[in-house]
Amino acid sequence: MKILVALKRVADPDNANKVKIPASGEKIDTTGLEWKPNPFDEYALEAALRLTENGTQPKVRAGEVVVVTFGPKETETTLRAALATGADRAIRVDASDDKLDGDLVARALKALVEKEKPDVVLMGKQAVDGDSNQVGQILAELLDWPMATFAATIREEAGALLVGREVDGGVSTLRVKLPAVVTVDLRIVAPTSVYSTKTPSTHKYNDGVRFAALPAIMAAKKKPLVEVKLADLAPDQALKVSYHGFAAPPARKAGIKVKDVSELVSKLKNEAKVL
Amino acid sequence: MPSAPTNPLVSDRFIDFLLFEVLDLEGLLALPDFAEHTRETVGIYLGTARRLARELLFPAYKPMDEAPPRLENGRVRVHRAMHDIYPRLVELGVLSATRPPEAYGQRLPLTVASLATSYLMAANLSAYGYLGLTTGAARLLESFGSDELKERFMGPLYRGEWTGTMALTEPQAGSSLSDVETRATPTAEGHYLVKGSKIFISGGDHDLTENIVHLTLARIDGAPPGIKGISLFAIPKNRPERGGLVPNDVEVAGVIHKIGWRGLPSLALNFGEAGDCHGYLVGEPHRGISYMFQMMNEARLMIGMNGAATASVAFHESLEYAKTRPQGRRLGDKDPRAPQIPIIEHADVRRMLLRQKAITWGSLALLGLAARLSDLAEHAREEASRARAAMLLDLLTPIAKSFPAERGFESNTLAVQVLGGYGYTSEYLPEAWLRDQKLNSIHEGTTGIQSLDLLGRKVPAAGGAAFGALLEEIAATCDGARDAGVNPDLVQRVEGAAMAMRQITLHLGSLGAQGDVRGMLLHSADYLDLASTMVIGWTWLRLAAAAQKNRADRPQDHDFYEGITSAAQYWIRTELPRVGYLAQLCRSGEDSYDRVRPEWF
Ligand SMILES: Cc1cc2nc3c(=O)[nH]c(=O)nc-3n(C[C@H](O)[C@H](O)[C@H](O)COP(=O)(O)OP(=O)(O)OC[C@H]3O[C@@H](n4cnc5c(N)ncnc54)[C@H](O)[C@@H]3O)c2cc1C
Repeated sequence: MKILVALKRVADPDNANKVKIPASGEKIDTTGLEWKPNPFDEYALEAALRLTENGTQPKVRAGEVVVVTFGPKETETTLRAALATGADRAIRVDASDDKLDGDLVARALKALVEKEKPDVVLMGKQAVDGDSNQVGQILAELLDWPMATFAATIREEAGALLVGREVDGGVSTLRVKLPAVVTVDLRIVAPTSVYSTKTPSTHKYNDGVRFAALPAIMAAKKKPLVEVKLADLAPDQALKVSYHGFAAPPARKAGIKVKDVSELVSKLKNEAKVL
Repeated sequence: MPSAPTNPLVSDRFIDFLLFEVLDLEGLLALPDFAEHTRETVGIYLGTARRLARELLFPAYKPMDEAPPRLENGRVRVHRAMHDIYPRLVELGVLSATRPPEAYGQRLPLTVASLATSYLMAANLSAYGYLGLTTGAARLLESFGSDELKERFMGPLYRGEWTGTMALTEPQAGSSLSDVETRATPTAEGHYLVKGSKIFISGGDHDLTENIVHLTLARIDGAPPGIKGISLFAIPKNRPERGGLVPNDVEVAGVIHKIGWRGLPSLALNFGEAGDCHGYLVGEPHRGISYMFQMMNEARLMIGMNGAATASVAFHESLEYAKTRPQGRRLGDKDPRAPQIPIIEHADVRRMLLRQKAITWGSLALLGLAARLSDLAEHAREEASRARAAMLLDLLTPIAKSFPAERGFESNTLAVQVLGGYGYTSEYLPEAWLRDQKLNSIHEGTTGIQSLDLLGRKVPAAGGAAFGALLEEIAATCDGARDAGVNPDLVQRVEGAAMAMRQITLHLGSLGAQGDVRGMLLHSADYLDLASTMVIGWTWLRLAAAAQKNRADRPQDHDFYEGITSAAQYWIRTELPRVGYLAQLCRSGEDSYDRVRPEWF
């Protein structure tokens, strides 16, 4: 099985207070931000690695995982880290963060999929910076491939994936024929969430994503990482989404103490207007 | 509510500052031996260590503290969590990270390896302990073992298939290793038959791996008495024989009930009760202690890092607490209806936090500096640079071992204090770190032994050459700080204290040279305190200079750099003045504890 994983780097969500918005509100000031891979994309990578191995022998690869990101040169660190955790190859589509939207990324990914011919495209259900939750869906539409979003479990079958999705009140299971696009949710990295046909169903993974070990970090330096021009994948770079302004969330005001329940109810009704 | 979920263990920004703004990692990576490494590989490795520490080791800390290893049917069973943690730490590559490829390693600079390890230690000292001991044992075999021994024992240790221990201490031989009595009798087959008892052997038994190798000090029959008659042996729990492993007559005599490091068993072990304990001589007979000494810098820096890391995690815990615990009102605010303010708004709480920061970050910086010296001593291009680095490292090691342990303990008590009554309960973590920290001033040479080592051996070595080199380094830092625009008052204070240290050192040195060893060493503890306070003051000046240099380029890090400058100011203005006082004390010959007789107590 060959899997293409789309991986975005985002401003470290644990340091959100470092995000600065200039007075003009035009854009977000990214100087000095710490970058991390989008957690949901990391989960997608973990799922891809599980699908291309026998979980009892994770050192032997049984398939290919190609990671792709869109961004400037320094995003190669994110790709190198992905190679160190087990991906086989990496592609950086040279682009500038503020000249991309979900539509353009999906169109470029489509061109890349046509070149790479993966069996599956995996990615996070959304990126935790913009929270747009679009690329997977647009890509599936452009490719005219089956799609499963918010995957919590994946089990490989011959020519298909059985995808469990957590929905209100239960789990819905979809069988998607390959090739397909799948976007993943948090639970995909639980110990028994993903099984390739080679991994015995008794096997339990470590909870969470795997780590880049030192020997693997050194070996990753020799794995292929190529740069592709965005124009070669998407000649039309017009954006469909434009941002009109940014503003920091209003600072929280101090609370007040109410005398009793009736005052609380009255305030909820008349001031907060939530009742 | 136990630990604040956001405890970072160690500050990422500070470690990056050390590596890239203070310790010139780029320069280190330019050395041919480190050619395989780049800023990128280092960054990814640090990232992994941080994650493993925060996500895997830290959550297991309290459970492991609460349920120490148990002795069942003569064998030790460790906490369940360790069975998950151990293989993943092995996989991370910490065992052999700094070693060359022949020793299964990636030749990572120790500067990087030790700062990365600080996260693992801060998260769970005991969990990392199994690995640290194993590396120590493998290092001895790598340096002094025959090819056959290396193949048989070093390989499995560096690969993490087996673990290792350091089996030095005996009931009558703790600080005084020359009194080791364990005996080794040669046999015609080449191995020795070992008989004796060891105590406090950490990691001496467990159920994580199928075998354990004890690097043991023992006396060969007929060996000369004292330090020159002690040899080093590799003694496996199970010995390789006939293609398998057979029990090697190593018995657990008991587990020690410890007040800290409760995730790692420390044991009394008996070798050869049934007369069938095979030991394999490492290197030449009677050289055991000298082999241990050659590995000592690294081992002692590791203990220093244990201390720094244990202080760091408690510092961050108490910092978070102080920001969120509302109590009291501002001085002068008499309105009882005004909301209470977080305790960090009280100047005295900020004093306790800044003091912790000065101790903790000062320790981390000194250990980073020492690790860099160790890298240069081994890998610098020119022989002269290697020799100078080795000399400085020897001198600084007793300080880098004992300061984080002693002052780290003080820092850990401050963390408890910041939490008030809650800090005194086991619902909160700071008391546990206090218990852990205490060991660091005891094992691997007590603080008393470090003080004798510093003043009795390291300072006078080679006619005081290392000491002279340290004074040069301090002077260079002062010049650099002045050029960078650091507050001149701070620079002058460091220069003044260095002068005072120089004079008292010359004085004590001359006493030694006249044969007055007692007079020279009477105040060794005060001298260690003096030298440590000075060296940390010098370190803070270096940090302040780096902050001053870089702050203009990184306005977004304004708060971070102000924090560095504040801690530097705190240490240099409030602690460094003690150097003058301690120098007087060392010179005074004050003799209360020398004169007092045991029966006078
Ligand atoms: C939890 C724990 C784990 C340990 N792990 C190991 C291990 O894995 N392997 C191992 O071999 N050992 C281990 N040890 C032993 C440790 O290294 C010794 O406890 C230490 O060396 C001190 O020896 P001692 O306990 O016999 O104390 P002593 O040597 O009896 O010291 C008692 C006091 O006397 C002072 N003193 C002793 N001699 C002198 C002197 N000449 N001048 C001035 N003061 C002196 C000391 O500074 C100390 O304050 C461990 C100990 C503990 C508590």
